[in-house]
Amino acid sequence: MNYLLHLLIFLDIYVIVALSLNVIVGYVGLLTLAHAAYFAMGGYAYALVSLLLGWEFVPAAIAAILFAVALSFALSLASWRLKGDFFVLFSLAVQVAVYTVLWNWRKSGAQPGTWENLTNGADGLNAIAKPEVFGYKFTAIDETAVLFTVVMIVVALATRLMLTSPWGRMLKAIRDDELAARGLGKDVRVVKMQAIGVAAALAGFAGSMFASYMAFINPMSFDLNQSIMLLSMIIVGGVGNAFIGPFFGALILIAIPEALRFLDLPLVVAAELRLMVYGLLLIVMMRWRPQGVAGSYRME
Amino acid sequence: MSAFTPTVMSAAGLHKRFGGQIILNETAFEMRQGEVVLLRGANGAGKTTLLNILTGNLEPDAGAISLYTTGREECFQFPRSWARNLNFMDHFTPERIAREGVSRSWQDIRLFPTHTLRDNVALAIQNQTGESPFAVFYKRGQIRAEEAKIAKDADALLAQFGLGGRELSSADMVSLGQSKRVAIARSVLAGAKILFLDEPLAALDSRGIDDVMGLLRRVVDEHKVTVVVVEHVFNIPRVLDMATTVWTIANGRIQIETPAAVGAQGLPTESDGVRPWLRQLAGSGGQVVERQLPGGALLSHVALKPGAAEPALDVKDLVVRRGRRPVIGTPSADGQEVAGLSFALPQGSIGVLQAPNGWGKTTFLEALSGVIPIARGSIAIDGKAVHDRPTWDRIGRGLGILQSRDNVFPNLLVDEAIKLAGVPEVPEHIKPFLGRRVAALSGGERQNVAAVCALYARPNAVNVLDEPFGMLDAKAIGRLQSEIVARNSGATLMLLPAASN
Repeated sequence: MNYLLHLLIFLDIYVIVALSLNVIVGYVGLLTLAHAAYFAMGGYAYALVSLLLGWEFVPAAIAAILFAVALSFALSLASWRLKGDFFVLFSLAVQVAVYTVLWNWRKSGAQPGTWENLTNGADGLNAIAKPEVFGYKFTAIDETAVLFTVVMIVVALATRLMLTSPWGRMLKAIRDDELAARGLGKDVRVVKMQAIGVAAALAGFAGSMFASYMAFINPMSFDLNQSIMLLSMIIVGGVGNAFIGPFFGALILIAIPEALRFLDLPLVVAAELRLMVYGLLLIVMMRWRPQGVAGSYRME
Repeated sequence: MSAFTPTVMSAAGLHKRFGGQIILNETAFEMRQGEVVLLRGANGAGKTTLLNILTGNLEPDAGAISLYTTGREECFQFPRSWARNLNFMDHFTPERIAREGVSRSWQDIRLFPTHTLRDNVALAIQNQTGESPFAVFYKRGQIRAEEAKIAKDADALLAQFGLGGRELSSADMVSLGQSKRVAIARSVLAGAKILFLDEPLAALDSRGIDDVMGLLRRVVDEHKVTVVVVEHVFNIPRVLDMATTVWTIANGRIQIETPAAVGAQGLPTESDGVRPWLRQLAGSGGQVVERQLPGGALLSHVALKPGAAEPALDVKDLVVRRGRRPVIGTPSADGQEVAGLSFALPQGSIGVLQAPNGWGKTTFLEALSGVIPIARGSIAIDGKAVHDRPTWDRIGRGLGILQSRDNVFPNLLVDEAIKLAGVPEVPEHIKPFLGRRVAALSGGERQNVAAVCALYARPNAVNVLDEPFGMLDAKAIGRLQSEIVARNSGATLMLLPAASN
């Protein structure tokens, strides 16, 4: 039972990350490899303020969101001028830079969380506070599962409201034809900044959920493979609609490694096999169903 | 235009050069409310450059542009000082100019393909409350009421433009003529005071042209919009009917003329240009053979020289589908049977296939070249079936194709494009373009390069040219007609929109 609840919690977290990535990829039409970096920013910001300042879940999550939004300006500014492959390369640079900082901001012997050893490198940060809302601590896994599922539903509804509003319509217009949208007086730069900011905020929030649930984070949870897996989620699930595509993507990509567990393979083989299955899935989807399992927009 | 009619836009001393080439030189004009301006000029004269500058898509090197559309003067001086460029809110951009009431349409229309027609029009409305990402959380009622009104206004405008009942159709599923009407409706709802139209009649059949012209008259009469039309030489007589002023760009300057004076110069129309040309080719003893094809298409051809008995191009019972819908081929009344398209083009002939919009000219060309598969029938070149062959093999067997758009590699130098096509000797009229990148050429100049690449490389068994005269000026059209005849080693088929006669 705990195993299923654990999967449910992971599903809740990754659905939020996939929803956020869908805003950038499915609605603005920009392919990004930096999403794990925003996820990481949220996780680390949450961990640091809760460890160092003792903040509880809500204010710490708000801090995580603000931190991720601040970093989103790097991608927003790039999106003003860069398109296509160059934007992907820039996002890759952001991802690698963030990962490198997380990996290297350490000093042996110094207390984790201090200026000299902010991230504690590969050893990561541990003993992160479990979610605590208005004084109630969610320590049991079933309580956390209920909390996170409710949070995921609220986030999904809020995202849906935004994406089905005239703002979402404008995002899709910019994705379809940026020059035509500008010709109608739409301030494309501001709108892209808003969309990337919203996406980073959601990813940062999911990062704080991840850190609070795991009580431990290190850079390996947010590396380039993670960014690629997040991108795979929405390519497989489909983009361009407000919920169903990202939801299926997260569900499928979380279910695959779990299904492989039942094959009783050696750990190393299972890890390699998992990557092979991801690759195969991407090829199959791109060839036969480019709009994903439940997507509304066909990526070129 | 009365001297008391308010000015909506003026420009003085506009300069623009690309590389060493001067495009605009001391260009100046004044535009008044309700004026209908026809902007014309030879290929490369700077029509599109001027249009791009006046709509904020390109900055001039020097000069001043003044806008009076909001009731106060908004002046943009060029070159802009570095201090002004630091202000992000004060950039000379398309969105800024659009918000001042200046709208434009593109040659390739640029509707938002994943949106409905209603949403395409609704998007044009400025300053919508719901266009802020968070407004939906605290102004939901206001947004709902605003959206209901926007939908109502958009539907009413679409109905006014003859698109009633199509509000929820996807923009990528409507015909070319309908798309053009939506683009104009979008500009009207955006509150355009000045509307720049880049070849609004291009690729339209006669009925489509009448529709769009009728619509433009309404836009001018009812909405008091000032309209500037850039149009292809064949369509100029249609625009002259409603134009109040003609701007002719030559040597970087605008010469202002009256429509009557320009009309008196004797302008060609497409039917003047193509069908009499065929008759002229037929000569006194020859004959233009005409054959009606299904769907309102007309195939005319003239045999220049007697050839082999085998047709150069033989299309038999051809059916091509997009999804389940037959695009080439005529379904029976009950939809159970589909009659395929059949025609033959004899050796040594030049043919013109004139078909209304939506007939499937592009689909036919794609099926002929092997880009899309056929559902039934056969295509033979010089008696050999090619319909089951890949594109590269069909080209190798003597099929030459000139597409109407995207027909040159924009990032190549003209020299490279010519070499890639295998043209043995560069023709004189292309030599001035050598050393320049294809993307830096004007639309007409690119079409000239594309035509040379298609026709000069080697003798083909069949040349198929899709709207080959698009974007060309009168001189270039005459030259291309001569080239088509001179290089017609097998047969040539031109695909054109249906003409009025």
